Amino acid sequence: MNSIISAFSKGIEKSGIDRKKISMPSDVPFNPDVVKALGVDYFQIPRGRAIAFGTGLKLGNPSLKVVPVAGDLMTLGGNHFVHGARRNMELLIICVNSFVYKKIAGKPIPSTQSAFSPYSTFEEPFNFPHLGNSCGAIYTARWTALHTEELADSVAEALHKHGLSVIEVLAPGPNYYTDIDSIELELLKFYHENSTIKNNEDPKNVAIVPDEKIIVGKFTDKERPTFIDSYNVQHSKILGDKFTPHGGKNG
Amino acid sequence: MKADPKGVLTGSHTLTGNHACAEGAFAAGCRFLGLYPIVPSLEISERFLERAPEVGATFIQMEDEVSVLAAVLGASWTGKKSMTVTSGPGLSLMMEHLGLGIMLETPCVIVDIQRAGPALGMPGRPAQGDMMQARWGSHGDYEIIALSPSSPQEMFDYTIKAFNLSERYRIPVALMSDAYVAHLQEKVVIPPAEEIEIEPRRYYKGAKDKYLPFKRDKDFVPRMVNIGDGYKFHVTGLTHDDRGYPVMNEECQEYNVHPLVWKVRNYVDEIIEVQEAETEDAEVIIISYGATSRAALKAMEQARKSGIKVGSLKLVTVWPFPEKRVAELAKKVKAFVVPEMNFGQVVLEVERCSYGNANVIFVPHGENGVENTDDLLSAIKQAVQADKVESVIIEFNKGV
Repeated sequence: MNSIISAFSKGIEKSGIDRKKISMPSDVPFNPDVVKALGVDYFQIPRGRAIAFGTGLKLGNPSLKVVPVAGDLMTLGGNHFVHGARRNMELLIICVNSFVYKKIAGKPIPSTQSAFSPYSTFEEPFNFPHLGNSCGAIYTARWTALHTEELADSVAEALHKHGLSVIEVLAPGPNYYTDIDSIELELLKFYHENSTIKNNEDPKNVAIVPDEKIIVGKFTDKERPTFIDSYNVQHSKILGDKFTPHGGKNG
Repeated sequence: MKADPKGVLTGSHTLTGNHACAEGAFAAGCRFLGLYPIVPSLEISERFLERAPEVGATFIQMEDEVSVLAAVLGASWTGKKSMTVTSGPGLSLMMEHLGLGIMLETPCVIVDIQRAGPALGMPGRPAQGDMMQARWGSHGDYEIIALSPSSPQEMFDYTIKAFNLSERYRIPVALMSDAYVAHLQEKVVIPPAEEIEIEPRRYYKGAKDKYLPFKRDKDFVPRMVNIGDGYKFHVTGLTHDDRGYPVMNEECQEYNVHPLVWKVRNYVDEIIEVQEAETEDAEVIIISYGATSRAALKAMEQARKSGIKVGSLKLVTVWPFPEKRVAELAKKVKAFVVPEMNFGQVVLEVERCSYGNANVIFVPHGENGVENTDDLLSAIKQAVQADKVESVIIEFNKGV
């Protein structure tokens, strides 16, 4: 988690955006001192609801840069993600995917946290970048938590995008393992060594498949009107001068 | 503080309860509406959306009621007075974030136009079946403020009152109306902006690096800041200390959660409003709220004409419950008659607060009970005749 936060911080630095304008609704319980050091406004809210809460923040004050950091994005937060992308609500979603790759009998298979799932898992994970891209996200990328430079670059770039951006970060998240350090490091290395960078790859080809290299990189980078743009265009068209645009482009 | 004239449609109008609610919101300074459309609250959103551009308000239709209240809380933290409108099925989905609003002490207003339930029930037909849900629906310990209007004029007035209370106590406030009042069309007088009192948000005014988001002031309420103003604050829905940092122990649970309850309980005299009529000499008092108050007043007049001394206690504030006043009156009267459009919710509070000193007769009724006072009058007669202290439920439609 700390490597993600430091990459995020580096990304903010590179983007040149004023930290006080960044707010971070999240369902990930970060160390409060670490968040405080980031210099942003932080809300820890219920599982999966970071995008919904962030939507209110952005509409309430369009000059904010809202960065929902989501751990439970596609379960409880699935519908919020799908609709956020459809609306092109201006949010940078950092999705911490802790879908742990675990070696069983020498063979890596995708698994949920083994603490919950003693016989490992048999479900297919989502292909996030593909899902985001097809729902209308304007920027999708995936990195492992050890691709710190690339992750920071993606954050810096996405912070300047107008619309919904999603960066998937593969990271082991079981912070209640007693031997967390060894597992985390081992898994991080495993992810990193078993990944291959393919920028601009069609997102539909980047599903995480057992025994195959994990494809990382930036997959989507396009433009389309944000929710606030469309809101303003529609009301101006009908109401003309009587309507004062809300926020304007990028607040 | 006086109302912003931009949102105040001063004059005498003929409005439905729902339209009056939207006007009340604008007058109160509401500038953000999160919604998911649901009968019978639709006309509030419709009016809000239509007038929002000229008033300078924003709105969004979210994907469900869970996200609606999340967005409303988010918008409130940016300094915008925010609200949502819904009905029972939506209120059920909002319970998760009602708890978050309480824990993060976020001012907002939730308008619930109650319809018959459970489940999908009868979307267009009124009920008062969500009263206990508003009080106890989210998990954990908390107090809530809920108001109940009985006419379009009160929809306007109490919407403003709801916003004022939510800012004063930093708490989500529920406006518990119903499909009857929501669709009723009556005269609504909207006063000039300078005659409308608005409770301003209580902001922190000290140094930025000294700000503690949950440090309570003398009035029990922590001061707010707007996000994006450089306070770098940390707030969490977990049990937290003054800094907004999670602390997982019993002491902090007590430190954090007790004030959530006591910031309301200590101020019940300021918060609670009731309207009494002819209670001085009454043998029987009808305790009612919302649409049923209309029938209650009618029944009171009819009973008085036939020589029975009946009074009325109308609850403007249902939660917190006017415990003290009901207990006082219980010592003076023979019985309370409690009509509700449900199978017995607020009547339980009346029974509790009577402490066995007065009979409590419950009159459950469907929407026809708002127009027809027969059940109420027969309950009043029964109340006068009954000697011993006992609670009676008038049964209706028992054999269906």
